[in-house]
Amino acid sequence: MKFKFIALGISAVIIAIGLINISTGKGLNTGVDFAGGTLVQIRFKSVFPIEELRQSLGEAGVGASKIQEVEKGEREYIIRTMLPEDAQDQELESHILMGNMVVDALKTQEDQSATESGLKDLNVIERDNLRTLIAASFPEKADTSADAILNLRQSAELKGIIESFDQLEQAGIDAEVLDTLKDKTFLGNMTIKRRETVGPQVGKELREKATLATVWALIGMLIYIGIRFKFAYGVAAIFTLAHDILVTIGIFSLTNREINLPVIAAIMTIVGYSLNDTIVIFDRVRDNLKTLRKLDFEGLLDASINQTLSRTVITSGTTFLTVITLFIFGGEVINDFAFTMIIGVVTGTYSSIYMSCSLLTFWKKIFKPKKGLGK
Amino acid sequence: MKKNLQWKIILVIAVIALSVFLAYPPGTKIQYGLDLQGGMHLVLQVVTDDAINTETDQEIMRLQERMKKNDISYSSITKSDDRIGRFTLQGFDATKEREVRDLLDEYFREWDNSVTGSNATLTMEASAVTYFRDQAVRQSIETIRNRVDELGLSEIPIQRQGGPTGERIIVELPGVEDPDRVKNILKTTAKLEWRLVHGGPAPDQETLLLEYGGKVPLEMEILPGDPRRNLGGNHYLVSRVSTVSGKDLRDARRSSDEWNNPAVSFRLSPEAGRRFYKFTSDNLQKPLCVILDKKIINVATIEDRISDTGIIRGFSDPNIVDDLTIALRAGALPATIKYLEERTIGPSLGADSIRKGLTSIIIALILIFVFMVFYYRVAGINAVSALILNILILAGALAYFKAHLTLPGIAGIILTIGMAVDANVLVFERIREELNQGKSVLSAISSGFSRAFKTILDANVTTIIAAIFLFQFGTGPIRGFAITLIIGISASMFTAVFVSRLIFDVSLSKKKQKATLSI
Repeated sequence: MKFKFIALGISAVIIAIGLINISTGKGLNTGVDFAGGTLVQIRFKSVFPIEELRQSLGEAGVGASKIQEVEKGEREYIIRTMLPEDAQDQELESHILMGNMVVDALKTQEDQSATESGLKDLNVIERDNLRTLIAASFPEKADTSADAILNLRQSAELKGIIESFDQLEQAGIDAEVLDTLKDKTFLGNMTIKRRETVGPQVGKELREKATLATVWALIGMLIYIGIRFKFAYGVAAIFTLAHDILVTIGIFSLTNREINLPVIAAIMTIVGYSLNDTIVIFDRVRDNLKTLRKLDFEGLLDASINQTLSRTVITSGTTFLTVITLFIFGGEVINDFAFTMIIGVVTGTYSSIYMSCSLLTFWKKIFKPKKGLGK
Repeated sequence: MKKNLQWKIILVIAVIALSVFLAYPPGTKIQYGLDLQGGMHLVLQVVTDDAINTETDQEIMRLQERMKKNDISYSSITKSDDRIGRFTLQGFDATKEREVRDLLDEYFREWDNSVTGSNATLTMEASAVTYFRDQAVRQSIETIRNRVDELGLSEIPIQRQGGPTGERIIVELPGVEDPDRVKNILKTTAKLEWRLVHGGPAPDQETLLLEYGGKVPLEMEILPGDPRRNLGGNHYLVSRVSTVSGKDLRDARRSSDEWNNPAVSFRLSPEAGRRFYKFTSDNLQKPLCVILDKKIINVATIEDRISDTGIIRGFSDPNIVDDLTIALRAGALPATIKYLEERTIGPSLGADSIRKGLTSIIIALILIFVFMVFYYRVAGINAVSALILNILILAGALAYFKAHLTLPGIAGIILTIGMAVDANVLVFERIREELNQGKSVLSAISSGFSRAFKTILDANVTTIIAAIFLFQFGTGPIRGFAITLIIGISASMFTAVFVSRLIFDVSLSKKKQKATLSI
């Protein structure tokens, strides 16, 4: 309790910086889920320097796209198209067109002429079509060969793109089948690993839904805590949670990371998680109010925090271990989610220990309730 | 006490057996979401206003016929611009007001009418509007299902979003190679009509209407030529009514015309065939056009009487012919479809996510295991056993509910791993406290569990409340996350409280007097 003003001060400063940055600085970097737009994740057969990529896109008239490199090695990128500011209300069609422009700009001449002459792109083809293609010449080898080729393409080494027919040979594809493939297929220069287009209408709705979900969850928890504890505890818990959300969003704004649907899910989880911590402490306070009647309220809060401290630290530790694992090994799709969780676990633990009880003392000072908050 | 223990052990073994039975082998029992298996997720909006407009148009034609039959003259019938499902009959003979009223009351029951002087306004009843909108969505789902079937994909989940009044459709197609083609096939309205041509081609509307004094005659309308075929830039004056339409089709196939250009051959129903025969007989040497989605794709002179079979020419690209036949065979959409959201995940990204997800789960498990055993010694093993059982139950429940495992779902599992030990930690910390206060092992365990239970319940219920709202408001992958979290946390209350307690009881019951506890 000694540190309550310092703790509140620090939190206030972080939240203030975050809010200022959101309102006047870089703002919030909302992903396609909320802002609408097209996101294309492309992997190239060989190194494609980012400058060349930017140039190609610029020539095609989509130079304003945001480019993000996936892993190192300049072979895989996430490209997000941006509509001009004045065209925000455009239909989904225009977003799709922008995506098509990006893809077309990066296709090589050879790939296009190969497609036009009727060859199939082995880096794009799906299983059924590949199977049919092989079955035309070697019906009995079609299934095994098709599976082998697709497994190779999806393997951890190749990550979606076959670089040369030699790789197929090394993977043990039948020589005859391979010859047929060389005749009827080619290895395209790139493969689209992911493509997401969200219309502005849906983006707006998703924003509303995310906000609604958060608000209703907070209300639901307030009611539950109000019933199980006292209303004052509910309010203190909700303020603690609002703090966690604001700090997280503030840090997102400062680090310029993208806010998308998984991030909202992560924020909701933090809410649940931080509340978990807070409740454990409040639960102790509730118990101690019966047993430690001699202590004044602040002393009782300190005692409760200390009694639950080892549990708080251990649980935070195990959760922290798992989200760090997710952050390091989970891959780029889940990276933002894991990052949010890391911030959340840290702020959630901190706020439960330093803030939730401080808020109770403030409540006591302001409203002076007769019951429920000790001496 | 002993007997009680036995029953508990049997219960736990039954739960393990059931979970394993439900989830094994996981590769086939647990379904992957599209983000893990690769595929296309589409959200479509049915523009149900179209269906209301079509219905209104038909009713206007019906009213025209009725007025003609009853021999009441009028100046015009116009569709309201600012309110959907409303049209006005103008300038009829005011002395026949009674007659008009009766006619509207008798034959247009689904329309509220208000007659003033020589004008009457008809507005579609709210219940009828709801009905037609609902029908439009249902028919669209049916048509889309047919088209997906024609594409050779079966058992595709096609859901209506937003309950019985929802106008959105979610289509999830696994493993699609050419998303653009599929999207076009699904979206094509495929409303095919044959109508008589009265004027054209002309570059603009004014030229077309010279003959008619600059005004489109009531029974005609102007339609553009399809820019994708060689009629682009031209306008035609055509009948408003179609002779035969896509509804009369019995079959459509890809074929070619006498110059070997791609074409679509069709067969009509016998009834429509008779109609078409009479129509072509009456209109020999007149131009007839084929209209697809309100664009003219082909104009030809009626050289001969046609009954129930024929071909449609005017295509240059065989792929367009293929896609059109698919759409025609599957039937026309009752309304325009708009795409609201589209997500395509390649199979390699999905495979990558599965690999990384599994790696993360295993590493997280190992880390937790090491930590718990290091910190709680033997009791740590107890906690980890409960944790593994938790994951088993989670897998079984996922398989049972046929919930799709998504990438956020995997994240939910990993998070559950981190949070599920919390219940154990709460209990163990309590037991340690009780031991420090000098209680015996047995009573420390007993009061540790009972005192911690209240805390665990409150803490977990609040997390579940958050997850439920996430499920309620979330979409697709987020729901997967919420589900795994809800199941995982619920299961953790069973495993960490019941199973973990049982393990203590069993291990202690073997020795009569146990003085120490490794915790």
